[in-house]
Amino acid sequence: MHLARDGMTENVALFWSLAIAKLRQTLHTLIAMAIFAAAAPALAQDNDRLPVYIAGSGNITLDKHIRSLLQESLGDQRDLVFVSDEQAALTGNAPIVTIGPRAFSRVRQVNRNAPVLAMLASQDFLKGFANRSPGQVSGIYYDVPLLRQALTGKAILPHATRIALISTASSAELYDTLIDQLPQYGLEARLFMVDDDKQLIPTLTRALSYGDFLLAAPDNDIYNPRTIKYVLLTAYRRNRIVIGPSQAYVKAGSLASGYAPFPEMTRMAAEYLQTFIKTGKFPEPDYPASFQVEINQQVARSLNIPLASSEEITRAVELLLTNERAQGDE
Amino acid sequence: MPVTNFNNYTLWRPTFRAPGFVVTGFLGFMLMSSPAASQSLSDEPEQIGFYGFNDEIPEVLTTTRLRQPKTRVPGTTTVIDGEMIRDLGIMSLVEIFRLVPGMVVGDVGSSTPVTTYHGTVHYEQRRMQVLVDGRTAHRATLSDMDWQTMPVPLELIERIEVSRGPNSAAYGINAFLGTINIITRNPADTAGAEVRVVGGSRDYLRTFASVGDVSESYDWRLAYEKRKFGGFDYQLEDDERAPFNDGHDINVFNYDSRLKVNSGFNTDIRFGIVDGINEEDVYKNGELGATDNPDIDVRDYYVQTQLNFTTSRTHFFHVQVSFENYNRRQRWPIEIPESVVNCLANGTEVFDDANNCFQPGGTPLIANVNSDSEDSRLEFELQDTLLFSDDLKLVTGLGYRKDTYRSETLFNGRGNNYQSRVFGNLEYTPVNWLTLNGGGSWEHTTTTDEVYFSPRLAANFTLGNNHALRFVYSKAVRTPDGFEQHPDYGFILRDVQPAIYSSYEGYRVENTLVNRDGKLEEENIISREISYFGQFPMDRGQFSLEVRVFKDKMRDMISGIIAFEDWTIDNNVDIDQKGFEVEAAMEYPGTTFRVSYGYLDQDDWYNGAEISADDSTNKKEKQYKVDLLGRLSARHSGSIALIQNLPFGLKGSTAFYWADQLKESRFERLDLRLAKSIFQPRYTAEVAVTVQHYMNTDPDMSIDNNIEDQNQLFLEAGIRF
Repeated sequence: MHLARDGMTENVALFWSLAIAKLRQTLHTLIAMAIFAAAAPALAQDNDRLPVYIAGSGNITLDKHIRSLLQESLGDQRDLVFVSDEQAALTGNAPIVTIGPRAFSRVRQVNRNAPVLAMLASQDFLKGFANRSPGQVSGIYYDVPLLRQALTGKAILPHATRIALISTASSAELYDTLIDQLPQYGLEARLFMVDDDKQLIPTLTRALSYGDFLLAAPDNDIYNPRTIKYVLLTAYRRNRIVIGPSQAYVKAGSLASGYAPFPEMTRMAAEYLQTFIKTGKFPEPDYPASFQVEINQQVARSLNIPLASSEEITRAVELLLTNERAQGDE
Repeated sequence: MPVTNFNNYTLWRPTFRAPGFVVTGFLGFMLMSSPAASQSLSDEPEQIGFYGFNDEIPEVLTTTRLRQPKTRVPGTTTVIDGEMIRDLGIMSLVEIFRLVPGMVVGDVGSSTPVTTYHGTVHYEQRRMQVLVDGRTAHRATLSDMDWQTMPVPLELIERIEVSRGPNSAAYGINAFLGTINIITRNPADTAGAEVRVVGGSRDYLRTFASVGDVSESYDWRLAYEKRKFGGFDYQLEDDERAPFNDGHDINVFNYDSRLKVNSGFNTDIRFGIVDGINEEDVYKNGELGATDNPDIDVRDYYVQTQLNFTTSRTHFFHVQVSFENYNRRQRWPIEIPESVVNCLANGTEVFDDANNCFQPGGTPLIANVNSDSEDSRLEFELQDTLLFSDDLKLVTGLGYRKDTYRSETLFNGRGNNYQSRVFGNLEYTPVNWLTLNGGGSWEHTTTTDEVYFSPRLAANFTLGNNHALRFVYSKAVRTPDGFEQHPDYGFILRDVQPAIYSSYEGYRVENTLVNRDGKLEEENIISREISYFGQFPMDRGQFSLEVRVFKDKMRDMISGIIAFEDWTIDNNVDIDQKGFEVEAAMEYPGTTFRVSYGYLDQDDWYNGAEISADDSTNKKEKQYKVDLLGRLSARHSGSIALIQNLPFGLKGSTAFYWADQLKESRFERLDLRLAKSIFQPRYTAEVAVTVQHYMNTDPDMSIDNNIEDQNQLFLEAGIRF
């Protein structure tokens, strides 16, 4: 078992390696920019006709899928143009939609002044950039708020009161907000700390003896392809379910996870773009208003847990959220 | 893998049942093709391979050796979770069985714990099969259970399944009244380090430590437990209180591991050592006029390996080989009156009361004698499971066992017994409301040199998923063990003093009244059971109820005394017994309430040879033999337990245990425990206090089993990293 490198660190490293490579390409790029600028004289002049650029993830199917969903939301009058990294340096004040954290990093590196709307980036990743450049950098968070994940667990195991969390010292802050929010929902959580990879399973065992279920946040240190098998096996042997961290992990054997549906994310992205076009500023980054729950029925059957449909669980979570809000208003 | 009573268990205590889901889970994961999934590949598990789950889940097949839900299992099975054992503050292994309906726990001799289902004898209780992780755990030669030295620390119990009723169909001739199957925790679940200390009244001290790790191909755990206990406070000798030398100080080391070769094959490797002293009191044990306590020096070990093969989701088998060695050294000094030496010299039968060999006076002979013994068991088992469909499942297997016994005192040398058997069980569900089970074992043993067939047939009528009415018929035998059948009992005198008796050095004192050539026959039982199992899901919790009504015919039961100076066992008692038992549990989040009750009505009579020409002696002796076989039979017994989560990380529990109209006494005790768990990011600690309150001061089972203080206090502290 080996804990993977932190996602953030990876991106920073990538940033610098790319930066060095880019220095070498500067001359070539300058020429390319000149040609591109000449070919698009009206670029960034007229907001009404402003195109929207897309810096893709490299996964063509995914990029095209998002582009077509965005196109549906924005309507035909707005051009959606894929740009390369070189081209991204020359987009002026036209907004660039980045798909995934790597595209975001590349764009930020070549064009620090471009307005960027990040998609498929997690709150953990994006928040810092957005705080430093409000209005200019924003995005639609791809992950699901941990509170919703926690309530998904509660919706599935209504009796649950205690949630086990595992983190490293550096990822512990991921759960800070959640731990404060839970008491209003009759839940409490405890954080169990893993200092090195040897401790993962012992810590997990302790955590499972505390919690009614294990809630996993997108934390690459703890949950990654090398560890997930052990985490799931250990949890299921102790008759404990695992919620999160994402849809992909549900396919791997986690019982359930909330996720933001693509049409919802692109609809929200379109709204953000419209706002930008009108005001020149993006709203603050946020989670999509609605979310859905992915469940693994096979796991549920194996664990003997009667599982409602994912729609019912989603509704139950929303009900828990609204009830609490309503109570808070009184 | 298969927990008989966990099917349909629910909302709040999910139990892992079906293997293999992760196979498809991970496969699906690898094949994900939706855009959403593709996106996730950047920082999520893409290379996760595909692997089986089968081998990872602990296997239990107690009743039939097939994995069965309670609604389909052909018999009543009680499952006690390790967690419940620890939550209730149970202080020794044998005490756990007070939670099982119909089981009674007591102490005989020098605080030697005994337990059994449906009573019979209190000494040498030998009518249940006891397994630890599939390895036979009773002593081979004497077929006696030694609960004090059993290498199972309480912390390592995953769960205990007790299959109530004859189970020879699955486990052979010792599973006469029932089967106890102790399953220890998978090393994968105990990775890390743990230390726990429990100390309390009557010099009770138990320390436990374990360390272990998990890796891709190997999971392991090394554990150590020390059990120290002072036993009862005093005994009565001539109505005077006398110190009772009945404690123990036992050290247990276990190593458990699993080598995972691939998804279709893994190996469990276990070994253990037991070392220590089991104190025996001079008034209780030690033949031939012992002058000091005949303490037992225990040096046992075992090695076990099980090769698990999973060829597909519907076919798996295992091969298990184990070797256990029980080495006991028991030595004590004796003093024989001169009159006895004279009888020995004249060839007069010393132990025939008519000869009046025991007269005071003269120069006594002083010597050392021993009751050392070493018995070994080599066991081999092959078990194959075929799941044709959800409605047709077959388990079959072969077993072979070699018991070797060595003791100059008990056997005047060494001997072997061999057993071989074939067993099988077929579960068939022709329609959704009916499940039929048919199983049996054919077994040959050299103790009687006969072949026995023990069948079990059952029909389970199921109503929905949650209710079942079972009709069970089973037959079983118990064959006499090596010592019952082939004793050659005699003590060799060593270090003889004074010099005038030097010719007796090496002399073997024998009791010719020990009936060596009286060939004992097997005991027989025919058991009929009607039982109901039901689960009632409630709004936030669940109620489950299991009721067993039984009617047993036991024939040719071996009763009598097994002792050097008095050896009277024979197939001479018949018993008809009936009764009912209830086990009910109400489980809510944070609350467990559990009740067990057993009612046993035994009708027993003597059917052996006439004992004496004198009518009244004859009658008395017959009644005595009948009574011996009912010493551990309680008319009413049961338990009530409540475990409750409390605020501030506290957990409280209370349990009341009672056994009424045990032939000679009554047992009632109330336990209270309060535990506080401290969950810290880097360690978890627990402190707890347990109070045992004896409701009365009457000694239990024997007038010597006395406890001074009705309240016994225990403190414990543990930490896990």
